[in-house]
Amino acid sequence: MPSATVNKPRPSELLSRLTSAEPEVKVRALREVKNQIIGNRTKKLSFLKLGAVPAVAGILADSIDDVTENNNCNNTNNFLVQSAAALGSFACGFDAGVQAVLDAGAFPNLLRLLANPNEKVVDAVARALRMIYQSKLAPKYDFLQQKNMEFLISLLNSEKETVSGLGASIITRSCETNLEQKALFDAGILRKLNSLLEGGSLSQRDASLESLATVFRNNPEVISKFAGPEIGRPLSSIIDLAKDRYPRTRLLACMCLIVIRNASPHFLQDIGIKTKLIHILLELLDDPGQVGDEAPFAFSSLIAQKEDLQKLALEANAIDKFHHHIKKGSLHPRRYEGILLALADMCSKLESCRSKFLSLQVLNLVADALTDYNAGVRAAACICLKSVTRSIKNLSAGYFMNETIVIPLVQLFLDPSTSVQVAALGATSNIVVDFTTRKSIFVQCGGMKQLVQLAKSMESSVRSNALWALKNFVFQADNRLKEGVFSELTASLLSSLIRDPEPSVQEQALALVRNLVDGCINLIEFVFAEDGLILGAIGRQLQCASKAEIGIQGMYALCNVASGNEFHREAVMQLLFTQMGDKNQSFVVKFLQSNDSQLRTATVWTIVNLTCPSSPGAPCRLEKLRNAGIVSQIKNMVNDPCVDVKLRVRTVLGQSMAFGDN
Amino acid sequence: MASSKKVITREKWEKRLNHIRIRKEDMNKLVMNFLVTEGYAEAVAKFRMETGTKSDMDVAMIMDRMAVNKAVQCGNVEDAIEKVNDLNPKILDTNPELFFHLQQQRLIELIRNEKIEAALEFAQEELAPRGEENQSFLEELERTVSLLVFKDVSNCPVRELLDISQRLKTANEVNAAILTSQSHEKDPKLHSLLKMLIWAQNQLDEKATYPRIKDFSKATLENPAV
Repeated sequence: MPSATVNKPRPSELLSRLTSAEPEVKVRALREVKNQIIGNRTKKLSFLKLGAVPAVAGILADSIDDVTENNNCNNTNNFLVQSAAALGSFACGFDAGVQAVLDAGAFPNLLRLLANPNEKVVDAVARALRMIYQSKLAPKYDFLQQKNMEFLISLLNSEKETVSGLGASIITRSCETNLEQKALFDAGILRKLNSLLEGGSLSQRDASLESLATVFRNNPEVISKFAGPEIGRPLSSIIDLAKDRYPRTRLLACMCLIVIRNASPHFLQDIGIKTKLIHILLELLDDPGQVGDEAPFAFSSLIAQKEDLQKLALEANAIDKFHHHIKKGSLHPRRYEGILLALADMCSKLESCRSKFLSLQVLNLVADALTDYNAGVRAAACICLKSVTRSIKNLSAGYFMNETIVIPLVQLFLDPSTSVQVAALGATSNIVVDFTTRKSIFVQCGGMKQLVQLAKSMESSVRSNALWALKNFVFQADNRLKEGVFSELTASLLSSLIRDPEPSVQEQALALVRNLVDGCINLIEFVFAEDGLILGAIGRQLQCASKAEIGIQGMYALCNVASGNEFHREAVMQLLFTQMGDKNQSFVVKFLQSNDSQLRTATVWTIVNLTCPSSPGAPCRLEKLRNAGIVSQIKNMVNDPCVDVKLRVRTVLGQSMAFGDN
Repeated sequence: MASSKKVITREKWEKRLNHIRIRKEDMNKLVMNFLVTEGYAEAVAKFRMETGTKSDMDVAMIMDRMAVNKAVQCGNVEDAIEKVNDLNPKILDTNPELFFHLQQQRLIELIRNEKIEAALEFAQEELAPRGEENQSFLEELERTVSLLVFKDVSNCPVRELLDISQRLKTANEVNAAILTSQSHEKDPKLHSLLKMLIWAQNQLDEKATYPRIKDFSKATLENPAV
C-alpha cells in the first residue's frame, strides 16, 4: 500500500523531540529532521532559523562522550551517523548552514570522529566534513604544520573513498600560497594524488584532478618538478583524462591542463594540445548539466589575453557554437553568464572575431541579455559589449550608437549592483567614441545626465568609470555637446573630482578636462570659470601627483589650455611656478626627469606651446623658464630614448634659438 | 547491377571466428558485471560461489540498492527516499533533478490513491518550493499539478504520468544515481559491447556482405545475401 503523507509533526515539535530523554524518540526525530532537509533548501533554512543546528551538534557531542564511556554501542553509532549526516546536509551547498555548523562547535568533533572504528560513522563524518570544505567558509587548513601534513597524508592513504576524497577537498579548498604548494609537493602529496589519478575510482580521479590544479596554480616550479622525468609521464595521464568518457572528468582534466599551461611556458604549448583543449571544451557545451554550465568559464581561462588561442578558437567555429547555444534560450544563468564572458574574451583583441560576431547577428541577443533578471548575466553582457565595441571600423560607422543598445545600457547606470553599473560604464565608454555625429542620441536618452550623476557616486570605481565614459564622449565632439556636458557637470563638481581622494578618479577627471578644452579656443574658458576653480585644482593636483598617469593627463590639459591665447598661456605659466611649501623646484622639472616617457612628452609639449614664436609673450616666458633651469633640463634631453620626447625637445630648442639663445 | 562490396562466405567467416580465443574469466566478469549492475543480489552471491569471480560491489550494497528500486516500483516513494538517505545522504542533496522527480512521484502516488487533500497540501508544501528554488522545474511541476484539475485523470492530457512506466522511469533514475555515487557505471558492460557490435556491423555493411548477427539474443549468423 503506497504511503501517504501522514500527519507530519511540525518542525518546532520535531525540534523539541531532539532533546527528549527517551533515546527512541530522539533518534527518530533526528532521522526525520535529516530526511526532511536533504535536497530541500527551503526546509534547511526554516530548521536553521529554529535553532536545529546547535541541537543536532549537541547530540553529536553527547554521543562522542558515550563512545568514550563505552555505553550502548549500536545506539551510539546510530546517533553519530544520523547527527553527522544531518550536519553534513545542513552544510551541503548552503553557506548559512556551514556557518551554523561551525558556530555550533561541531567541526572539531567531526574531525575526532574520523578515527572511529565504525565504518558507517566514518563515512557519514567524512561526507559532512567534505561538505564543509566545499564552502568558502571552511576553516583554513594550515599545511605548514608537520602534524597537519601527516594527518592529511593519512587521509589520502585511506582505503575509504569518502576519507581520501576529504583529503583532496581540503587541498582544493585551503591550498593558496606558493609556499603551501611547495610544502605539499615536498611531502609527496602529488605522487599520491597522481596514483589516485591512475588507479582510483571515478570520484577519486575527479577529486585528484581538482587538487592537482590547486597545487599547480601559478607555480611553475612545482609543475616542472611534477612533470619531470622521475614520475614517468604524469602529464600524459591528465591529457588522457581529457578524453575520458565522463564529461565531468573531461572538464576537470581540461581545467588542470589549462592551469599548467597558464603557469608554465614550457608545457603544453604545441598546437596539437591547444586545438584539442578548444575542441573538448566546445563539445562540453552540449552537456545539459553543471558541466556544460562551467565549460565556458574554463574556455575563457584558456583563451583570455592570448591571441593565438583566440585565432584557433575562431577557426574551430567557437563563436558560431556560442551563438547557437544562446539562441536556444532559457539558459541557466550561470551558463548564460559564462558564454557571454567567453564571447567577450574571444572579441577582446582580434578584429576578425568581432567581425564574425557581428556578422552572425549575435549583438541583438547580447542586447537582450542587458535586461536579464540575473545581475551576473547583465554584467557579462556589458563586458561582452565592451569587447565588441573596440572595433574601430564599426564604431566609425556608427554601428553601435542606436536605441536597441544605448537605451538598455543607460538604464543599467541605475542598476542596484555596482559591478553591473561599472560594466555598463565600460561598454558605454567605447560606444560614445562614435566618430559620426550621432552622439546626440546618447544625450537624448538621458545618458549624459546619468553619467554626471554617477560621477557623484559613493563608489570610487563608479566615479572613475563614469568620468571615463564622459571623457570618451567629449572626445572630438562638437562644441555644443561639450558645452552641454560642462554646464551639467559644473566647474565646482569637476574641480572637486580633480581633487578626489582616489587617484583613478583624479586621472579620469583631468583627462576629461583635457578632452573638453581640446580644439576650440572658447572651450578653454571652462577652466577659468568661477574664479579659475578648475585651473587651480589642476595646479594643486599636479603638485602632489601620486602617479605618472595623473601628471600626464594634467600636463596635456595644460598643454591644450596653452594652445589658446596669451591670457591662457600666462595663466599656465603662473600655475607652473606656484610654490608649495618650501619646494623650490617646480614640478615641471620633476616631470621632465620622470622615468615615464609619456609624462616627459606631455611636459615638453606644454613648453612647446608656451614658447611658440608667434606669440608676443613668448620671449618673456622663455626667460622665466630659463631662470628656473627648465631650458637647461630640456637641453639635457636632446638624446632622450623616446622619439616623441626627442622631437619635441628639438622643437623647443629650435624655438628658443629663434629668440637668440646662447 | 554488380556490387562493389566484397563478399565473405559463411565458411570463411566461421573459420576466422574459430581462430579467436575468448577467455572464460573475461566472460565471467561480464556476467558478474551484468548481475551486479542490474541488481540481482542472490544471483551475484551464487555466481561468485560457483565460479569464484569477484564482484566490485558486495551483496549487501546491491540489496540496499534493490530495496530502493523496489520501493519506488511499488509506489512507496517516501520509504525509498529514506532508504537512499541512509545509503548516502549526498545523493539527493546534490541531485536536485532527481529529488524533484522523486517528490513528483510522491504527488502522483497520492493522486492515484485519490488522497486529493493530502496531494494539495503536499504540492504546496513540498513541490512548490522546488519550483522556486529552480526555475527549470516549473514546466514539469505545472504538468504534474494539473493532474489535480481533471475529474477523470485516466483520460486527461497528462495521463502518462499515472502510468506504471513513470514509476519505472523514476526507479531507473534513482538506480543510476546510486550506482554513480558508488563509482560504478550505470550500464552493464555487456550493453556497451552490443552497441559496439552494432556499430561495427554497420560500418562493415558499407564495405562487405557477410554473415551478420540480426537477433542478439540468439547470436545466429544470417547467411549473406548474394
